[in-house]
Amino acid sequence: MTVKLWNFFPREALYECYQCARCTGSCPALEVAEALGPRETILKCLNLGHDEVVEDERLWVCCTCNVCEDRCPQKIPISDLLVALRNSAARRGNIPDKLQIAIELLAKTGRSMIVHQLDEMRAHHGLAPLMPVPIDEVREVLKKTKLDDVIEF
Amino acid sequence: MYCKDTMKYALFLGCAIPIKYPGFEAATRRVCERLGIELVDMPFACCPPPTSLKMVHHDSWLALAALNLCRAEEAGLDLLTLCSGCVNTLKEANHTLKKSDSKRRKINRILEDQNHHYKGTIEVTHILDVLYQDSVVEKLIKEMSLELPMKIGCHYGCHYFRPPKIMYPDELSDSESYVPVKMDHLLSIIGMEPTEYSRKFLCCGSPLGANADQDAGYAIVKEKLGHIRERHIDALSVICPSCFEQFDMGQIALSRKFKDQSKIPIFYLTQLVGLSMGMTPKEVGLDVHRVKSKKLLESIGIS
Repeated sequence: MTVKLWNFFPREALYECYQCARCTGSCPALEVAEALGPRETILKCLNLGHDEVVEDERLWVCCTCNVCEDRCPQKIPISDLLVALRNSAARRGNIPDKLQIAIELLAKTGRSMIVHQLDEMRAHHGLAPLMPVPIDEVREVLKKTKLDDVIEF
Repeated sequence: MYCKDTMKYALFLGCAIPIKYPGFEAATRRVCERLGIELVDMPFACCPPPTSLKMVHHDSWLALAALNLCRAEEAGLDLLTLCSGCVNTLKEANHTLKKSDSKRRKINRILEDQNHHYKGTIEVTHILDVLYQDSVVEKLIKEMSLELPMKIGCHYGCHYFRPPKIMYPDELSDSESYVPVKMDHLLSIIGMEPTEYSRKFLCCGSPLGANADQDAGYAIVKEKLGHIRERHIDALSVICPSCFEQFDMGQIALSRKFKDQSKIPIFYLTQLVGLSMGMTPKEVGLDVHRVKSKKLLESIGIS
């Protein structure tokens, strides 16, 4: 599994990091919650502690706002790193419940929202019923990409 | 000169707008009709979000995005999105697949059983960028029937413009960053007073609330609203349904804890454009907002 992670992200890019913490200083999640933060994440990955990162629930405490990457003076693709780490975490079962439920819904219905009494609500705004999602197609695609290795649907 | 040929888009509604906030959709359709922008409906699936599926399974995220891109491509139309999340996913997926032969081949092997083949022939855009085009602004000035004189704050939403190298590669600053201004400019055209405030580009906190900690997400809302109140801003304009919900519902949740705070109405961009064209608050769907804008609009003569 750990080998796989670095197939998704060029590990050598991390050696550009000199731990200036401009990323972490800009992180909105760290202002309000117990997040891991980009600087510490990168440091642990450099020190071969990425197993620890992937198993840490704080990895998910993030706004996905991309400010860390935007501010990085070394132009490290931090968001790509965070996506690779979280994909790896999810494969190991480290995934927030809320996110797991959201993805089950997406895979089952092709939408991110629960549809309830929608036609009436849309009619209130003078709108026609919503076109149905080509759900069979969606499910076939998600089976071929092996989403069910991570999330059952 | 107004060019009719280019003003036709495949309308990518996403999930949150047609299901949670159909009023934004109604306002957008009315505004586009008046401005001569033709919208074509198609059976799209979820984009899927950069905040959920991408974080859990990147390949599934890219393949599902490619499926949506194929559908617009097969109709020969550029994709128009109304949500920062949708535009982020679809622009990045389009960029990635256009750039990488190997990823394109891999995705096409997945899509071939469904009789789709991604070629990379269309562009993805957002309603703000479409409205900001010179020809559309010229038409808007002709269609406008009233100004909306109030102090407005703009919140762009992170996924609308970050990462800049993918979202706005041709408009980067010297430091390869991008500071969005189009919403401020557009709102000044309809007689509003766009007002700067501290931490304007701070995230709304929605993904943090959705994936990890709702209270932490709302703590960000509280901070932003504090800065907005400091500048005596009357209302906030957004271009993303998730940002909208975070500020609209967030203020209701925060008002239970912090009773003394006045609430600031939140508008989706096309609702404000619609009002300036003489549409009623109900026509642009304002009746279902949690933070009511009735008093504010009455103070500028709209009822």
